[in-house]
Amino acid sequence: MSLANLAHLHLLLNHFPTVGFSVGLGLYLIALIRKSDDLKRASLVIFLGIGLLTIPTFMTGKAAQAAVVGQEGVSETLTATHEDAALLAFLFMTVTGVLSWLGLWQYRRTSHIPGWNMTAILLISLITFGLMARAANIGGEIRHPEIQAAGDATAPSAELLKASSVQGFVNTTNWAWPTMETLHFIGLTMLMGVVLIVNLRMLGVAKNISFSAVHRLLPWGVLGFVINVVTGIIFFVTVPDQYTQNIALEYKMALTMIAGANVLYFTVFDEAWAVEGGMDAPVSGKFMAGLTILLWIGIIWLGRMMPFIGGSF
Amino acid sequence: MMNFLDTLEQSGFSTWVRESNSLLAYPSVLFLHTVGMGFVAGISALIDLRLLGCASEVRLADIKKVLPFMWAGFWVNLVTGIVLFMLDATTKSVSPVFWTKLVFIGLAVAMALNQRKIFDDPLVDKRPIDMNGKLIAFASILCWMGAITAGRLLAYVGPGVVSQGG
Repeated sequence: MSLANLAHLHLLLNHFPTVGFSVGLGLYLIALIRKSDDLKRASLVIFLGIGLLTIPTFMTGKAAQAAVVGQEGVSETLTATHEDAALLAFLFMTVTGVLSWLGLWQYRRTSHIPGWNMTAILLISLITFGLMARAANIGGEIRHPEIQAAGDATAPSAELLKASSVQGFVNTTNWAWPTMETLHFIGLTMLMGVVLIVNLRMLGVAKNISFSAVHRLLPWGVLGFVINVVTGIIFFVTVPDQYTQNIALEYKMALTMIAGANVLYFTVFDEAWAVEGGMDAPVSGKFMAGLTILLWIGIIWLGRMMPFIGGSF
Repeated sequence: MMNFLDTLEQSGFSTWVRESNSLLAYPSVLFLHTVGMGFVAGISALIDLRLLGCASEVRLADIKKVLPFMWAGFWVNLVTGIVLFMLDATTKSVSPVFWTKLVFIGLAVAMALNQRKIFDDPLVDKRPIDMNGKLIAFASILCWMGAITAGRLLAYVGPGVVSQGG
């Protein structure tokens, strides 16, 4: 995609972690007040979906930055401050997404979300919302000098977590990049192990196992996924230039969104859950299982092709 | 020996895989090696976790059925691994990281073979996994992590490292 298109995509996507998230948060508060499990689950699904969309939102930001820096009235230090604020918000969004997924997984098992997790989601989502709104506000100032606080635009970023610090650390620490790569492959292995066992069961291999039994394994796969989101974002922040317009990475992220949404089928839907030991999964379940395995193999292919098609290493 | 390794490295096949611009050459071998890793190390580690007590509702007699997929991953990686070795046999053969990786894989495979006797026991789900079985399961996870780490480090440490940025 061209820089301009990626920048457009950033302007589209950035409404999800802000406006979209506020809808989820509002729904979650109503659900807590009305003690409605259905509303709770609906808001957790929204949190999870927005958590996933935050990944491409953050990544397209780099292209948007490259597209506007150098234009008249655009402050480079302000875009850096926006990126730093967004990075912190991104990390909290990741925690919100994981806890939300865990809540959905717990509800599927016990028809109940434990109080500790509901409280944790409430606190973390409020912090996430605050940080996201702040990042968005700074982002808005980039093109709207009329809302800029006087003199702020040229002040260097004073954020707690700076993308440039992450970049500096990885670039000057010789073991950092190889360690991230190793963790990314260990995460991949955990994820693939779970994807294979759960979906092979759905396809009829080892069909004496009930779905509710293999459902137990899902947190290990999600742990692998989270390791890879965090290490992946560190790669991206360290050398954004080779990833910003990498066609293989763009497709990889598109498939990751689909595969991420697809985890809902295995986490919350009744269809897979109802598959008991010895039973064949319904055709739609087998289709989802085959699709899931192919999606993840496709994601590995695109990741592996990034140096060869996309020109990164 | 070096002569033989040099012949491997300079063979028409090795040269094609190494130097062709086709996505079917080096990129595909690397991709298959990664997917194979997901199959063999992923399934093996998950079964180890089960032996350590995770997801105990999954009966071992049942999960045994996924073992052929684990071994399929192993064979894919043996073949693609041999190809990757051939491409720069003279440097890989003197790389301590490469031999470390092979030792970890050898140990992990030996443990997977040893675990067969757990699965072959008709009473497998009737008796608890003994301490020895749990230690082997734990060591197997560590060996796969060691093999993955050494495999990744091949790109960064020791002879034959192409200078990379980042």
